[in-house]
Amino acid sequence: MLGYTILAGLLFGLYFSLVGLGLNLVFGVVRIVNLAHGDFLMLGAFSAYWLFSLFAVSPFISVVLVFVGFSIIAWPLYYLLVPRLMATKDPEMLSLILFFGFSQVIEALATIAFGTSDRSIPGRALHMGPCRLFGQNYPASWIVGAVVSAAAVLFIYLYLYHTTKGYLSRAVMAHREEAVASGINVNRVCAIAFSIGVGLAAAAGVFAPFIFGSINPAMGVNITITSLTVIVVGSLGNPLGTVLGGLTYGISLMFMQTYFSSWANLLAYVMLILILLIRPSGLLGRSVRYA
Amino acid sequence: MAMRKIFFIFFVASLVAVACRAGATEVPKQIKIGTLYASSGTFAPLSMPVHYGLKLWVDRMNAEGGVYIKAYGKRIPIKLISYDDQSNTATAASLYDQLITQDKVNILIADAGSVLTSVALPIAREHKMLLIDPIGIGAPFFTPDSPYIVLIGGPVSTIWCKNIHEFITDEGPKLGIKRVAILYSTNDFTGTQANTIRKAIEKSRTGIKVVYDQGVPTSTTSYTVIINGIKAAKPDAVIELGYPINDISFLRNLRESGVKFKWLFTSYPGMETEHFEKTVGVKGLYYVYTDMPASIMNYKAAFGMSLPEFHAAWNKQYPGGKVGFDFNSVVGYTTGLVLEKALGSAASMDQLALRQAIVGLSGKLKTLDGTFAVDPKTGAQIGETMPIGQILPSGKDGIKLIVVYPKQLATGKLVYPAP
Repeated sequence: MLGYTILAGLLFGLYFSLVGLGLNLVFGVVRIVNLAHGDFLMLGAFSAYWLFSLFAVSPFISVVLVFVGFSIIAWPLYYLLVPRLMATKDPEMLSLILFFGFSQVIEALATIAFGTSDRSIPGRALHMGPCRLFGQNYPASWIVGAVVSAAAVLFIYLYLYHTTKGYLSRAVMAHREEAVASGINVNRVCAIAFSIGVGLAAAAGVFAPFIFGSINPAMGVNITITSLTVIVVGSLGNPLGTVLGGLTYGISLMFMQTYFSSWANLLAYVMLILILLIRPSGLLGRSVRYA
Repeated sequence: MAMRKIFFIFFVASLVAVACRAGATEVPKQIKIGTLYASSGTFAPLSMPVHYGLKLWVDRMNAEGGVYIKAYGKRIPIKLISYDDQSNTATAASLYDQLITQDKVNILIADAGSVLTSVALPIAREHKMLLIDPIGIGAPFFTPDSPYIVLIGGPVSTIWCKNIHEFITDEGPKLGIKRVAILYSTNDFTGTQANTIRKAIEKSRTGIKVVYDQGVPTSTTSYTVIINGIKAAKPDAVIELGYPINDISFLRNLRESGVKFKWLFTSYPGMETEHFEKTVGVKGLYYVYTDMPASIMNYKAAFGMSLPEFHAAWNKQYPGGKVGFDFNSVVGYTTGLVLEKALGSAASMDQLALRQAIVGLSGKLKTLDGTFAVDPKTGAQIGETMPIGQILPSGKDGIKLIVVYPKQLATGKLVYPAP
């Protein structure tokens, strides 16, 4: 039981690393809290659902299509919303309000467009049965989610540490004013980070029907709360912190479900309170400005 | 003397005129029915079919010139005032209050489900309004000291699960079921069912043991670790009680984990079969035991449309399938039918007179939802019970539902243990 719980927590936590990764990147570079993050995930999930239902597109292909598609959509969205926010005195606080409103609009429009019923992609779409690890069966979707998450983390790492745009992103993360003074096109760097962040959220959504069983337009809020927990626990603005936050959340959730199942939904909130009281900078303890 | 006589006659005539004026009831131009629905959020899939079912009834009534109200002796058009609570209890509480105090509705109907009904009850009680409860079946709502609620569309939770525990205690020993696992979502609907089943098994003295008994939050959508815990308890029968989102996740996780139970019950595959075929997949439903609601049983309706007629009317009024047809659609329509009957027999529009009229229908009203029967003391629905069915493979990629309990309703032979 114990071994199963820990390994299940690691796999589940890795998926939540993917869920939180985009949110953390956006916060780290753009310095806004995208409270519509969960709703972008929901839209990604519905995109994968429709791609499968209408054209029998495999989730493995959908994940690429959805990532690219949503990254493209996010680009003009950034220029529509964020530069105006940045011109205000307190963009971080105002971003909370703006993206909360945006989240409500997305949910309402999705409800009108898709209806209220839960939908899902059949498990056979992954063409895999239960996977056997250390003598125990685990859902294939968890393994796939974990692998895609690991690939996404590697992608973000390579982007940040081995590309020019990544260097510029880290410069903006470290000191925005100095980056502006040194001639970096901050808006462009932020737009790229925002696009990647939204694309990653949508890509995580492709596996949501498998991980959560079903999807509906109202799922975004809970996903956003969990994502916030993951990135605050790990370390705001630090992609590796997101992995640690995701794993911590995953293992804690599986332990709660095994031994204190009735209280499991309090976990995200309790973790948020504890980490803010004990170690506000997150488990990795790195300030957001020094990525 | 003559003057006194004239004055006396004038006085008596005035009294008679005033009395006549007071006796003549002012007939309203319309009857206001107030209700809430959740177009988004957790309870939207439950709430919207109920609301659409009720709307369908209202539209049909208004097409006939309104609903007949005995107290006024004529048909009066219905004005349906409905607000969206978005599955939020705080919003719902404020909107229920608005319906009563601002809109001054004549009839108050709760949103669907125990969670959104729970906030309506104290408000209705405070304003002495009868709460027409379509499907908030949590047993704690119904007590003898609370006359301002009556349950319409489904049996109270303690009755809802009657056939489950009777099956386990009656048929279980014959099948070799000795160990039972109960997993439930911690809300009034499923929590009280779990309590009732647990107590019934313990009282049965059949030697059947509850070897796993855990509650999970209603928001739970990941069951893999929990399923592993249940498997470790080695149960012969597993009862999973939740809302649709819980049942879908549980059945999917079960299939994806490769775990099989000999006997598995979940409520909603029978209630929302088409939806479960799409979300869980046909093979994930094989051999599952489930509730067999009125949307499957096709009860003979002595009042209102039959199930096929209602289904056809639903498809005509709501083409496109954004709000699916299921048991909750039947509940919404049945709520209208019960109101129609009660308004046609209530002596006045007083709230308790309306309750009395509804209770008076008990045992006499047969709709597509089965036999309507209300406990006169508590207002709980004790009719419209849920037989137990099993989902069996049919053809290459199909399923069929058979009734397996109670025995007098059985339409096929159950398969145990599940292969």
